[in-house]
Amino acid sequence: MYLGLKEMRHEKLRYTLLSGVLLLIALVVFMLAGLANGLSNGNRQAVDAWQARTVYLNKNANQTMSASQLKLADQKKLSGKQIAPLASLSGTLRTTNNHLKTTASAFGTSRTSFLMPKLVSGHQINGKNQVLISADLKAAGYKLGQKVRIGTTKQTVKIVGTYGKSTYMIAPTLYTDIATMNRLKGAPITSGDQQTVNGFVTKESSFKNAKHGDLEKLSIATFINKLPGYSAEQLTLNTMIYFLFVIALAIIGIFMFVLTLQKQPLFGVLKVQGIGTGHILAALLTQSIAMAVIGIVLGLGITVGLAQIMPAGLPFVVNWAQFGGYSLALLAASVVGALLSWRTVAKIDPAVAIG
Amino acid sequence: MTQAVLALQHIDKQFGHGHTAVTALTDANFEVSAGQFVAIIGPSGSGKSTFLTIAAGLQTPTKGQVLLNGTELAAQSEKARLAYRFNEIGFILQSSNLIPFLNVTEQLKLVDKMAKRPFQKDRAAQLLKELALSDVATAYPSELSGGERQRVAIVRALYNDPSVILADEPTASLDTPRSIDVVERLANEAHQHQKAIVMVTHDQRLIGNCDVVYQIEDGVMTRQKG
Ligand SMILES: Nc1ncnc2c1ncn2[C@@H]1O[C@H](COP(=O)(O)OP(=O)(O)O)[C@@H](O)[C@H]1O
Ligand SMILES: [Mg+2]
Repeated sequence: MYLGLKEMRHEKLRYTLLSGVLLLIALVVFMLAGLANGLSNGNRQAVDAWQARTVYLNKNANQTMSASQLKLADQKKLSGKQIAPLASLSGTLRTTNNHLKTTASAFGTSRTSFLMPKLVSGHQINGKNQVLISADLKAAGYKLGQKVRIGTTKQTVKIVGTYGKSTYMIAPTLYTDIATMNRLKGAPITSGDQQTVNGFVTKESSFKNAKHGDLEKLSIATFINKLPGYSAEQLTLNTMIYFLFVIALAIIGIFMFVLTLQKQPLFGVLKVQGIGTGHILAALLTQSIAMAVIGIVLGLGITVGLAQIMPAGLPFVVNWAQFGGYSLALLAASVVGALLSWRTVAKIDPAVAIG
Repeated sequence: MTQAVLALQHIDKQFGHGHTAVTALTDANFEVSAGQFVAIIGPSGSGKSTFLTIAAGLQTPTKGQVLLNGTELAAQSEKARLAYRFNEIGFILQSSNLIPFLNVTEQLKLVDKMAKRPFQKDRAAQLLKELALSDVATAYPSELSGGERQRVAIVRALYNDPSVILADEPTASLDTPRSIDVVERLANEAHQHQKAIVMVTHDQRLIGNCDVVYQIEDGVMTRQKG
């Protein structure tokens, strides 16, 4: 401790520079993590809000909702609590005068289903051709009472309520009932249990019996991973983050090793004086931990600061538990990096210092 | 006669094997008691440093015994030898004894840190005063003159209150007046504080203050005085 910290104080420039390098690495790790979280959130925020456990899709849909076609009547094949039909439509939301245009993810479900979001203003859907919009759409300029179109049909719907932030596949969401959704899609059947839906979302459920036709049961986790592009995006960003841990380890390792080589004569003198390998390694560890802590803390501070001033369109989410984990990983990389010099320190022969 | 603090008996030291073997020491016998200032004098390459490293337990002799306060050193574990070096031996090298990033007082504080005890402020002040270093107590090694640096090395060696101080050509980097000054102070410490001090040198003019002088030539040690 004493040796390590005293040396850092005396060699401020040298150790400040390395702390700076670690700071940059930590900053990139946290920024990438924040972006990965932001993208992930943009894809799944609406799904997370459902607090559901299972999704049923058509088994020929390759576990993708947009490719899945079922009938409302298929719900009879399921038993359990809180089973909600879900129809989805990804399209352009626009006001009737075309002044506002936004790519949006529209969901249709039964009016009383647990999937319907909690309202912030307006009222629940209680009639034909009504929609609820997320805070993101409200922020984009859509208002209560406004008439809008979604997708390619001429059907107009009226905004009657707004709820909190919600996105699905990087697009803000809106909710309506099943019949309205089918009218928006231009489906031939817009009432009764022969209407099409894309799937069923449930909290607790199972198949009623072994014969369940085209239905396939997915966990929510599988459903999210199968969102188009989701796992590829997350894998790419996470791989970059993991590489940065290795780079941090290598930088500390190389730097400490070069310094150790440089300081061999000094370490020889220390050993002559009865200050052994353990104490010398403790000094190296103290230094690398101190530099890592400085770099990580500043990196976190700057990341959180940047997150405040980032443009709203940039998906960025600070997840403290995850950032804490990554900080520990960076710290561990620094410790391992310093320990790479262990053999070199151990091999220094004090007799050489006397010569 | 008092027991020797440090005794080396029938020490042989060879480096390498076969026809490339170098014999650095042949049947060296040596002892030093508390309060004695002993010089080992010999030309370059005669085996002086080899002798000191063996005495300090930094190298093991090919043959023979090193006894510190009557205990055989070779029988100890590596860890025990490290502790022995730390507690019982003060080493003064030719130069670069000091840690560049610690000031004079901190060099002493480090000793206490390693020994896990509080800084002995009064002892430090007293030793620094004895060696006329009070004014440079907060200076870094790079700010000191060669003579001051060697005096700090002496203070550092004495500070831990070792049984033996081994000095390997402590005046090699100093001019004659400063060399004489440093040697006089070593003699003084031996006599005043009952330390066993062993100084290696190749300079005949510096051995006037010594109680015992050993001559070493081509690895053969002979007792000359005392
Ligand atoms: N580690 C070693 N390996 C091989 N030969 C050595 C080693 N150390 C010392 N010697 C040899 O031992 C002899 C004595 O060296 P040394 O004790 O350093 O002499 P001095 O200190 O009197 O100048 C020299 O011939 C030197 O080359
Ligand atoms: Mg020598």
